Amino acid sequence: MAVSPISIPKRIYKTLANLRTGIVLLILVVVSSAVGTFILQRPVTEADKLARAYSPATLLWLDRLGLTDVFHAWWFMTLLTLVSLSIVFVSLDRFPNAWRFYARPYRKTDSHFRSALPNKVELPIRNAENGLNAAERALKKLHWPIERVAYKNEPSLYSERHRFSVMAVYVIHASLLLIFCGGIIDGIFGYSGFMALQRGQQVNRIELPNGAKKTIPFSIKCYGAGQENYADGSPKRWWSKLAVVKDGKEVETKDVVVNDPLVYHGLRFYQSSFGITGNLDELKLLATPENGTGREIALRMNEPVELDADTTVTLAEYIPDFFIRDNQVFKRSDNPENPAFRLQVKSKASADDAKLWLFPAYGENAQGQKTNYSFAFRGIQMGYFTGLEVSHEPGQWLVWAGCLLMGAGLFVAFYMVHMRVWITAVPDARGKLVLWVGGQANKNRDRFEQKFNEVLDAIRTELETATATASPARQENPELTLAGVK
Amino acid sequence: MATRARVVRMEQPAATGGNALLVLVGLSVAFLLVVALLGAAKAGGSLFSESNLLYVALIFYAGAGALYMGFGVTGTARYVKFASTATVIGLVANTLAVAHRWYLSGRPPFASIYEMLLSFVWAVALLTLFAERKFGVKIIGSITMPLAVVCVILMQLLPSEVRPLVPALQSTWLHVHVTLAMLSYAACALSCALAMMFLIQDELRTETFLAWTSGFVSAIYVAIVATRFEKWGGLSVTGWDAKNKSDIFLGRGMRLFVTVPDLGWLFVLAAVGAIVPLLLYAVGRGKKDESFFAISNKAVFISILLQLAVLAAFVLRVYNASYSSPDQEGLYPTSLAASPFLLGGMVSGIFASLLYLMLLWRRADLEGLLPSADTLDRITYKTICVAFPLLTAMIATGAYWANRTWGSYWSWDPKETWAAITWLVYAGYLHMRITRGWRGRRAAYFAILGFGVVIFTFLGVTYLLPGLHAYA
Repeated sequence: MAVSPISIPKRIYKTLANLRTGIVLLILVVVSSAVGTFILQRPVTEADKLARAYSPATLLWLDRLGLTDVFHAWWFMTLLTLVSLSIVFVSLDRFPNAWRFYARPYRKTDSHFRSALPNKVELPIRNAENGLNAAERALKKLHWPIERVAYKNEPSLYSERHRFSVMAVYVIHASLLLIFCGGIIDGIFGYSGFMALQRGQQVNRIELPNGAKKTIPFSIKCYGAGQENYADGSPKRWWSKLAVVKDGKEVETKDVVVNDPLVYHGLRFYQSSFGITGNLDELKLLATPENGTGREIALRMNEPVELDADTTVTLAEYIPDFFIRDNQVFKRSDNPENPAFRLQVKSKASADDAKLWLFPAYGENAQGQKTNYSFAFRGIQMGYFTGLEVSHEPGQWLVWAGCLLMGAGLFVAFYMVHMRVWITAVPDARGKLVLWVGGQANKNRDRFEQKFNEVLDAIRTELETATATASPARQENPELTLAGVK
Repeated sequence: MATRARVVRMEQPAATGGNALLVLVGLSVAFLLVVALLGAAKAGGSLFSESNLLYVALIFYAGAGALYMGFGVTGTARYVKFASTATVIGLVANTLAVAHRWYLSGRPPFASIYEMLLSFVWAVALLTLFAERKFGVKIIGSITMPLAVVCVILMQLLPSEVRPLVPALQSTWLHVHVTLAMLSYAACALSCALAMMFLIQDELRTETFLAWTSGFVSAIYVAIVATRFEKWGGLSVTGWDAKNKSDIFLGRGMRLFVTVPDLGWLFVLAAVGAIVPLLLYAVGRGKKDESFFAISNKAVFISILLQLAVLAAFVLRVYNASYSSPDQEGLYPTSLAASPFLLGGMVSGIFASLLYLMLLWRRADLEGLLPSADTLDRITYKTICVAFPLLTAMIATGAYWANRTWGSYWSWDPKETWAAITWLVYAGYLHMRITRGWRGRRAAYFAILGFGVVIFTFLGVTYLLPGLHAYA
């Protein structure tokens, strides 16, 4: 069968605008998401763990089918796009009708309509105008807005509440699209990376998950970082004192902790890890002159410290785990278990350059060439780094806006009922004049019945008082007729 | 309005006495309380400790469950009165336990799976009373109370020490997020129970319940056998480090399993016992021969006895004993606390079977004691109308919090993904109902399925699919 070229887009539209298609797509999303949680996923699981969990052949096929990274696979993205399109098209398909209903509510009370409406009551009256006036007063007391409608010279009243609630469902779906838009923007323009800083360091490059480096237009300086523990040794708090440096000036400072990131120019810096670098930060020594009292000094690598006007000491070498062979000091490993330090003591006057070694595991005093000072080990402070997760998510505001909009939409859709009441004066089946009151709600029908009865009671009371004031002598109970099914 | 045709059953005289169950339950409750009191007095320490309060809650919830089921069978109005009272007492004890923990730790009990279950049970008990008073669904407790009992038993086995909050949890959003989660989960539980009530009221054939119950129990035992059956008929359970009160770990996330010899065969037997009624039902359906259903009902009795025997054997063999492990040399102790979910599964199976017995023996005019099918259908829907926005808010607050903590509002973590799946399932329910006019049985099945997904998201993901959301 030949298909004319125009009809193909139309067919696609029709297919996607079908609710059944939407439901099938949703089921597919549910199933593939569930699969994605059961099969180990690539970016979060390390390669060797995957290799342990699956045989090479299985892994090859899982990779080929995109099942090891479901949530970033092209077919999953396509599925989500189709869901979005389906939401758009279903909404577009249904919107005109809904809008017509919304923009031009049916106000008339013709006989067809009166017979079709399920909720209706007839109250006997003597005079059409008086009856309608009484009903108007009653509705006003209950704070219902009132419209006078004249149709074919038959005056009637129309009143409604919460008409906007019929549009809430579109708001909800629009909010979902807003959230998707935010996600897409972040997927395209957003990025996340990692930055490790040591105390005093200033960095303007972040490492992206694929290993590439990215330079950001300002740099972050670290003034310190630390970990606090609970009494049982479990971590209580990680913190970093950070500053934003732009064009050589500090423009912002913040103490970052978990749950409280630093935000600057759309970039967010999260406290994510904390650890020891394996580098030495400080060596603490007690330096004692030949005949005098000692003082404590702190040495950093290759930074000379003045002991007196003539003498300086420098930490020239640090070996975390040493061994000695042929009278030479060698490195065995990077574990700071058995450290060795080489000190250099310089004297300006004698142009002397003395070399000393300090092996804390074998005695606290430094040994080697003769100097005017003796040095005793007092401790070391290892360097630490703070790991910052960096993310740029320009679309997140759309996501939050979408969430708020969805909350509002759900509230209106579920808890606000579009209620309508029509009132007119017509002759009933036996030809007697009655006040015809009909009502309808779009949901929560039993609750509406209560509201409707409230309205009816108010109208009855108004009618009674009107009759009582008009002819106090002839007071009677108005005969009530209940028509239709409740 | 036309009254719906009702299957005519033998009209039973309204039960007048029916004190036997009351006396039985009352005596059991009293006995268990006295035993516990003596034990607590002997051990010393505060009587109003959290575990004692929880024990009281457990006893009263169990008593209430028994009385609710008794009401379903006999229709004695007094049972409901006493069951309600027992639920209230259990709720008070539960509330005190929550308050006690809150006071001790200085924060709401939201930070571990134990604490979340504590809040969840509390919400479920509260909603049960609410549904009973507001909607007049008198036997809803026969479903929610067993659920509460299973949860409290799980809690007795889960690590319950008050632990300080890890840095990621130190946020106001913890309270907002978890409160919303517990409220929505409890509302989902209520909607599931209401949907089951609807199925009873809708005169779903007893055999269909038989099929569902046997299917559920079979699934539990087949799953246990499939994952835990070892060579030569052993059953593998997690090793237990009594000193540190935790599972024994071989490496990161790798638990040490020990093999309890011969116990595996018993589980196979229980699985077969659960499958037999299902098969008989299938044959009966296929041959259109009702006599198979009668045999099937007898098979359910045997299945219940088998389940009780397996539970007893499991408790006796695993409680405080040591076995060898296939992974590592030596004998390793094990404990009931190491297998909370095996135990939870077995107890759930027994409760499901007992619920079926209640349906089998139900009073002919039980339908008259419940709200009409239309009403039940409507309040199931209304409950989901409450649960769904709560679920949405739970996910949204979770995303916002994750954005502050992990640097991303959505990272496809298993917990997140399953929360989204739950949301989609309920969204599907709402769409089918609103646009396709799904009512009645299909909607009820959908609501029950929804709660199944909720339970998987709540407990299953935590234990089977660990990820970022590791705390609970």
